[in-house]
Amino acid sequence: MTRTDEELVARSQSGDVDSFNQLIVRWERPIYALAYRVLGREEDARDVCQDTFLRAYRALPGFKGQAKFSSWLYRIALNLCRDWIRRQQRAPVSQMPEDIDPAELLAETQPTESIEDLVARRELSAIVADAMKSLSDEQRTAIILKEYHGMTFQEIADMQGCPLSTVKTRLYQGLSQLRRQLERRGHGMAQLVKRT
Amino acid sequence: MSVTFECGDKNALVAYLYEECEPELRDVISGHLTRCDSCSSEIDGLGWTRSRLEVWTPPMPELGFQMHLPPQEARLPWWRAPLPAWAQAVAALVIFGVGLSVGLARGPAAVREVASNQPPPATVSTTSIDTASRDDLVQLEERLKSAIAQMRTAAPVRQVAASAPSSDEETLKKVEALLAQSEERQRREFTLRSVEMARDFEAQRRIDMASVREAVGQFQGVTGNEIRQQREAIDRINSLIRVSQQGR
Repeated sequence: MTRTDEELVARSQSGDVDSFNQLIVRWERPIYALAYRVLGREEDARDVCQDTFLRAYRALPGFKGQAKFSSWLYRIALNLCRDWIRRQQRAPVSQMPEDIDPAELLAETQPTESIEDLVARRELSAIVADAMKSLSDEQRTAIILKEYHGMTFQEIADMQGCPLSTVKTRLYQGLSQLRRQLERRGHGMAQLVKRT
Repeated sequence: MSVTFECGDKNALVAYLYEECEPELRDVISGHLTRCDSCSSEIDGLGWTRSRLEVWTPPMPELGFQMHLPPQEARLPWWRAPLPAWAQAVAALVIFGVGLSVGLARGPAAVREVASNQPPPATVSTTSIDTASRDDLVQLEERLKSAIAQMRTAAPVRQVAASAPSSDEETLKKVEALLAQSEERQRREFTLRSVEMARDFEAQRRIDMASVREAVGQFQGVTGNEIRQQREAIDRINSLIRVSQQGR
């Protein structure tokens, strides 16, 4: 039987560590993905992810359920990412693809995807990650929360502590900036049409 | 109320893009896009950029985080939970205070009891010499001294005490002998422990020295190999130079 987040939170609050571990299993990948996209480094993302659950566990007695557990968790993770960036005093750096391992590529290839397609996809992924670095922290976070975590404008506004209209502005400006960056790197809409 | 859309309203276009606008506004924008090339190309461009974002996938390592609590952190009922340090200190003080007050309350009566019932010298038997602790002996000495003092000051007691002065002297001598034996035993134990500690320390020091020597030896071996290899390389280079010079 699958329990809801709320049930697992209630059980965790009464001291059931196994229930909290179920919450970790459920949410560790999205939190890791968020941290990775914001910070751009695997090790940092892993540390932030671990720290997020540790802090969440400690703060669990104070969680009254006003927000969704996932939103609460995302907020903790984003605060940690912000602290991390501030502490390290370094711009987010995305890892560019290193030497491509053929065995790894084969394992990653979808049944309908050729090796060439996969290499192109990885290359584009690196270009997008690099282009994301050109955005401000607020724009990047808004786009990440919207595109990869399916949050509503209101949820993002709550998370970022800003008005709804500001979220829309950040998304619009962020996407426009990203489009320009991709065009500059030869992956714009026009170049794509020419290639095809 | 009619919904209006101003051409180029970026917030409205974003809301339309993410399908987070009122149905009426959505219809209005859809109609506008069929007529306005600028807004239409803007929406196409934003949509295309969104489609590019789909390929950005983070590496997903095996995470497997688990929360493990040490046993003492498990939540116990309040009556089984360990007391904080301050509470333990308060409890210790209370117990000490109660014990002290009880002791003070019982103190004079106990002395009187000792004074009225002359303790027979045989109560401290030779068999108890080995088992009596230092504290017991100190307490016994105190009791005896106070009893003797009482006997000497009180007149009726003085008569009783006068009847057996030699037994008091003997008791005191025995007590002093017991104390001396106890101190001697403690000195011996202390010496033995000191010797044991010194021996352990020496053994550990030898083990550490052996491991240090071994590590240094390995390092020297590695360094020696490297030096030998470098010398061989230099020799080869020199011979090559010589051969080339001879060729000229």
